[in-house]
Amino acid sequence: MAASTFCPALLPLLRINCKFNGVYTRISLNRRAAYSLGLTASNGVERQGLPERGNQGQRRQRRAVEPRTERMTVDQDWTAVYPTAASFKPNSVPLPVRMGYPVKRGVPPAKKGNLELIKIPNFLHLTPEAIKKHCEALKPFCTEWPAALDSDAKCEEHFPIQVESKAYVSAGPSLRNPNARIITLTVKLSSLNLDEHARKKLIRLSGERYNKDTDTLTITTDSCPMKQQNYDYAMYLLTVLYHESWKTEAWEKEKTRADMEEYVWEDSPSQKNILETLLRMRPLGEKEEEGEVREELLGRVEVQEYKDSVTKLKNEGETETNMQQYKEAVKKLLNI
Amino acid sequence: HSVCYNRNSIYHFIDRAEKPHTVCRQLNSTLWLNVGGRSIHSSAVCCKNRAARIRVGKGDRPVTYEQALHPHQIAHRKGWLSQHTSNLQGEDGAADRTVEDLFIRRLIYGTFHGCLADELVIKRRGNLLVICALMLQKLPPHKYYFLVGYTEELLSHFYKCPVKMEIQMLEEKSVYKYL
Repeated sequence: MAASTFCPALLPLLRINCKFNGVYTRISLNRRAAYSLGLTASNGVERQGLPERGNQGQRRQRRAVEPRTERMTVDQDWTAVYPTAASFKPNSVPLPVRMGYPVKRGVPPAKKGNLELIKIPNFLHLTPEAIKKHCEALKPFCTEWPAALDSDAKCEEHFPIQVESKAYVSAGPSLRNPNARIITLTVKLSSLNLDEHARKKLIRLSGERYNKDTDTLTITTDSCPMKQQNYDYAMYLLTVLYHESWKTEAWEKEKTRADMEEYVWEDSPSQKNILETLLRMRPLGEKEEEGEVREELLGRVEVQEYKDSVTKLKNEGETETNMQQYKEAVKKLLNI
Repeated sequence: HSVCYNRNSIYHFIDRAEKPHTVCRQLNSTLWLNVGGRSIHSSAVCCKNRAARIRVGKGDRPVTYEQALHPHQIAHRKGWLSQHTSNLQGEDGAADRTVEDLFIRRLIYGTFHGCLADELVIKRRGNLLVICALMLQKLPPHKYYFLVGYTEELLSHFYKCPVKMEIQMLEEKSVYKYL
């Protein structure tokens, strides 16, 4: 028949197969003779005398091998049984676990053949022993935290610019995630070398990226496809902002009172009004220089107090304390 | 012209020059009498859910835990057969993973035909694709080794990621109840 096509090593195997049953012509065609030699020979011996009946004849009557759990000692090395993440194997876990909804007047199904136990992720590979071993293995690759940086303030002082980026891990063949390119750069303006004009200009240029309460400038870049490019772009933006804020353009001279960021009392209608009022309050007859009178009036303590209270009201808004202060200042000024 | 509901039978009525009311009466009568005509027939909607359910029968049919519990018990008494991160908020690739899962289930159902004791469980650990299967002892072990290696090799070339199969052998299907 087909015997001529087989290699001579398999011929004895063939003979054993064909010997017992003329009907049984299924010949294993695998090249791993080492596995099949042991098994098919013994199975052939076992099947001696059994009736041949279609599918049932194909089924091997195997000796039930005892599970590995029977031979496990109590003090064995569990990290050798589950070295890496693996699904639940009932014959390797010596625990009498049951899982599932019980049948009426019954118990949850046993662990053998229990698909529910296989479905759930298990942490049998992460016992404290295993984690200690992981840590020991990782220690040679770690470096100490620098001893000089022992507080947040010191870290901020030496490293004022903080760059944040996120890396994403997911389950799938691709490890690319487009959200991983986003870079956030935060820096406190107090750590930058800025004068008043530069500071105001930088705040104006950055717009809503500046947080007044925490005095931080936050630059978020995601316009480039790669993380490195976004980082370079963010650093470039910071550099440009810094240098531009130090420059003074020609048209900046045209800054009017309406463009001012905060209320300034000098040359304001409030100052004019109070000066007029005080001048009117003076007794008639004293002819003095206008300029001198102004200087003298402005130098008075009550006027200074009034100036402070008005500035506070305008800049910070109306609060209890501010209103009280204004009230007191006005009362003192007008001798009420 | 009167409307012709059943062309075959009442066509000849329209041909005659008859008064409209008699024609209508004849039309009506023929509609009632004409049962074998071609008209739309509809019944009430059957609102039963039949997905993945084995209905209760005589009590001689052995059923596994997976088959006995219906899909609405998922997350209550059943777990999920496939695990990956794509269904989380803000993650991509859910459709791709689902299609992969379906393909893998069909491939293994066919490769290990008659040997599977229960549904496959597919887990993804990062890049690695793990297929957990419960098998019956239908084939000699060397065949199982070969088929497992063949499936792993084929699927890893297909999906460009490492594929591992973890199989457990059972003597027979684990029966949960009889329906």
